[in-house]
Amino acid sequence: MEKSDSFKYYYPSEKESQNSWNTGFGLSVSDRRLAFSRQASFDQAREPHTPVSINLNDPAKPLLARSVSNIDIPTGLFYSLDESNKYSGEGNGSAQKFSFMLFVFSILRIMRSGNRYMKRLFVMISLNVAYSTTELVIGLFTGRVGLVSDAFHLTFGCGLLTFSLFAMAASRKQPDRVYTYGYKRLEALSAFTNALFLLFMSFSLAVEGLHAFIQDESEHKHYLIVSAVTNLLVNLIGVWFFRNYARINLVYRNAEDMNYHSVCLHVLADSIRSAGLILASWLLSLGVQNAEVLCLGLVSVAVFMLVMPLFKATGGILLQMAPPRIPTSALSKCWRQINAREDVLEIAQARFWEFVPGHVVGSVSIQVKKGMDDRTTLQFVHGLYHDLGVQNLTVQTDDV
Amino acid sequence: MCQNKERFGRKVEVTFLYMIIKGSGKAAVILWKNPVLFVCFHEAMEVQNSEHGHIIEVCGDVPAVGTSLGGSRICGEAACGFSDAKTSSKDANERSASMRKLLIAVILCVIFMSVEVVGGIKANSLAILTDAAHLLSDVAAFAISLFSLWASGWEATPRQSYGFFRIEILGALVSIQMIWLLAGILVYEAITRIINDTGEVQGFLMFVVAAFGLVVNIAMALLLGHDHGHDHGHGGHGHGHGDHGHGHGGHDEMHNHGLTITTHHHPHHHHHEAKHDDEHHHAHEADHTEPHHHYEAKHDDEHHHAHGADHTEPLLKTCSEGETKTKYAAKQKKQRNINVQGAYLHVLGDSIQSVGVMIGGAIIWYKPEWKIIDLICTLIFSAIVLGTTIRMLRNILEVLMESTPREIDATKLEKGLCEMHEVVAIHELHIWAITVGKVLLACHVIIKREADADMVLNKVIDYIRRGYNISHVTIQIERQ
Repeated sequence: MEKSDSFKYYYPSEKESQNSWNTGFGLSVSDRRLAFSRQASFDQAREPHTPVSINLNDPAKPLLARSVSNIDIPTGLFYSLDESNKYSGEGNGSAQKFSFMLFVFSILRIMRSGNRYMKRLFVMISLNVAYSTTELVIGLFTGRVGLVSDAFHLTFGCGLLTFSLFAMAASRKQPDRVYTYGYKRLEALSAFTNALFLLFMSFSLAVEGLHAFIQDESEHKHYLIVSAVTNLLVNLIGVWFFRNYARINLVYRNAEDMNYHSVCLHVLADSIRSAGLILASWLLSLGVQNAEVLCLGLVSVAVFMLVMPLFKATGGILLQMAPPRIPTSALSKCWRQINAREDVLEIAQARFWEFVPGHVVGSVSIQVKKGMDDRTTLQFVHGLYHDLGVQNLTVQTDDV
Repeated sequence: MCQNKERFGRKVEVTFLYMIIKGSGKAAVILWKNPVLFVCFHEAMEVQNSEHGHIIEVCGDVPAVGTSLGGSRICGEAACGFSDAKTSSKDANERSASMRKLLIAVILCVIFMSVEVVGGIKANSLAILTDAAHLLSDVAAFAISLFSLWASGWEATPRQSYGFFRIEILGALVSIQMIWLLAGILVYEAITRIINDTGEVQGFLMFVVAAFGLVVNIAMALLLGHDHGHDHGHGGHGHGHGDHGHGHGGHDEMHNHGLTITTHHHPHHHHHEAKHDDEHHHAHEADHTEPHHHYEAKHDDEHHHAHGADHTEPLLKTCSEGETKTKYAAKQKKQRNINVQGAYLHVLGDSIQSVGVMIGGAIIWYKPEWKIIDLICTLIFSAIVLGTTIRMLRNILEVLMESTPREIDATKLEKGLCEMHEVVAIHELHIWAITVGKVLLACHVIIKREADADMVLNKVIDYIRRGYNISHVTIQIERQ
């Protein structure tokens, strides 16, 4: 990744930059950690960059690459202030109200033109809803508590999946005044929520197991086989829909990856739970003592292990952690290269964070000598970090 | 070459540890077991650091930049500004105060819970044990809040260059999820109560247990909601109501909250040792209407006072003089810590639900055949609880989605910047908050060709810092 000495900032072709980026991070074509292992090219949902002109003297074109997510505010606009409403998607410019209903309607419109996964998720959610309502109704009428509790559990899960669907639809919206980076974070958030729910579930299963361990035989709930089997089938359909994401350790290339992964894990964990319950009933019927405790404990541990990597990854994004895909060695290499330039005195700070996987934002603060040409320095720094995959970079150059 | 002298000692520790672990010194090792240990990697080729040997520094320290603005405009370390001397001590004080509150709440909870567990085992009643389980969930929520509070004080590492402040927000999110979960569990229990109906003994027991739970929760709400300290005029307002959240995100967020719980807290006021602001607040609640709801304009204490004016004249004077004296301080300490707020909401939700269960229990006790009332009550009160969490959830969501904070008027900021003479245009303006109250800004400013970049930079940073109180600013100056 050494830059040539001409310091001319050029915008490399897509393939070239992707390949260099790939090999820099050790991700090869046949890497099994990718969601779609057959897919060689990275069809990243990167916002199209306005191409950067090689011609430095041309004042019309922007000098440095900008992402579409920027908010361009030329001076002339402020003299007609009512035009500011043009920029705000939903809310007013000044009040910044979040008009929820308008938002929901726009989401519904987008959902109708959804992609494959959205449609699949919708089918799954409707299946789940239908199933849980029937369970609830039957449970209420026949008076079986087990069915009702299962229905509740399913309803919670459905609610979460609906939130995931909503996030999928909402993340397509263009950035506006209030959400200057866009809405893709919602997907990471929904992935986090799913992971959290799965953690809660594993914890509650452990508690249930403990409960079963403490109590004696007479108070055991005898798990209803039919409902467990149906649950298992419904969830296996879901796993089949999202089979590309049925891995534990997944490399996330964009925000949707996280969301789909979390949905898949959710459904997988549910099916593991149903399978565990079926196993427990079978073992009980065989006469194995403490079968429930064993099975519940096993399921709880399995779900926990399943969900931990996703939880850590989404937690890292939400905590503004430095992007895990850019190794520290690459960052320090860039650091050294910038320091090596003669007009740079010192780098005060360089902070990077990921908005969603694949969209890295950074802010760098450099001390330069007085009177140097900041344009070349800026170009150099931008080019350097652009190769690493940092899309939005703000470089502050201070004269000392 | 870190400027801070006190970090030298820690750096020496790191150096020794480091040299023991890695002889060559090219790789970066992140050690953050100890929040006090601040890890600095020095690049081996920097000559100035020869006395430290091989350590790699990613956080560059800057020789003191004496600008005319008074105070460096470049942050010195990876955790800059977020932990410079003034703010960090203020932060630490706030944090330790909040932690103390939460710790006391946890201890109280544990005591009550053990009382209930012992009583439940003795009386062999499932209802008491389930209530003890609810208290356990309270403890869990407090523990999460405590942990987030403690963790947010950790020093930044190169991986977490902004520090750990976001952990507060995530912890608050987790505890709100728990509130929702518990509301769902309570509804589920109400349904099972209908299905497994037993005699009227259930009703009375439910009532007593719920009453006990209510008392416990009110005690903790008092503890958590009580804002002691310098803001008397400010803190006198929302005793136990959470109207403290004036500056917090939108100023509307706790007002609605106050609206829903008027009925609930009336008995609460009588228990309170008679403070003058009680009636004031009480009266204020009575005519609490929509105008408070939406506007995020600076709703200060005067606004509250103006509304209460027609009821309590002498109170207005005492409040307002206390208020003007502390208004400046109030601007600084506008927001209660979000974790304490989350814990408070949790406790509040529990007390609301205890009221619901009490009503249900009383009705079942009185008329055992009206079992459905219990379920309806529980549903209604669960919905109320969920409603109280909506506002906090929205604030959390806004921070997590890196949106422009509500209290900053981005349009005005851009307009003000564009009105400067040398500035031609502004691109890529991003304003986002790392946690409630800590705002960052990044933007690209295009200036005229012949302008002095340094001067414009100073002007812009000064403008932003003075007008909007954003101190973590990164401006990229480009020439046209």
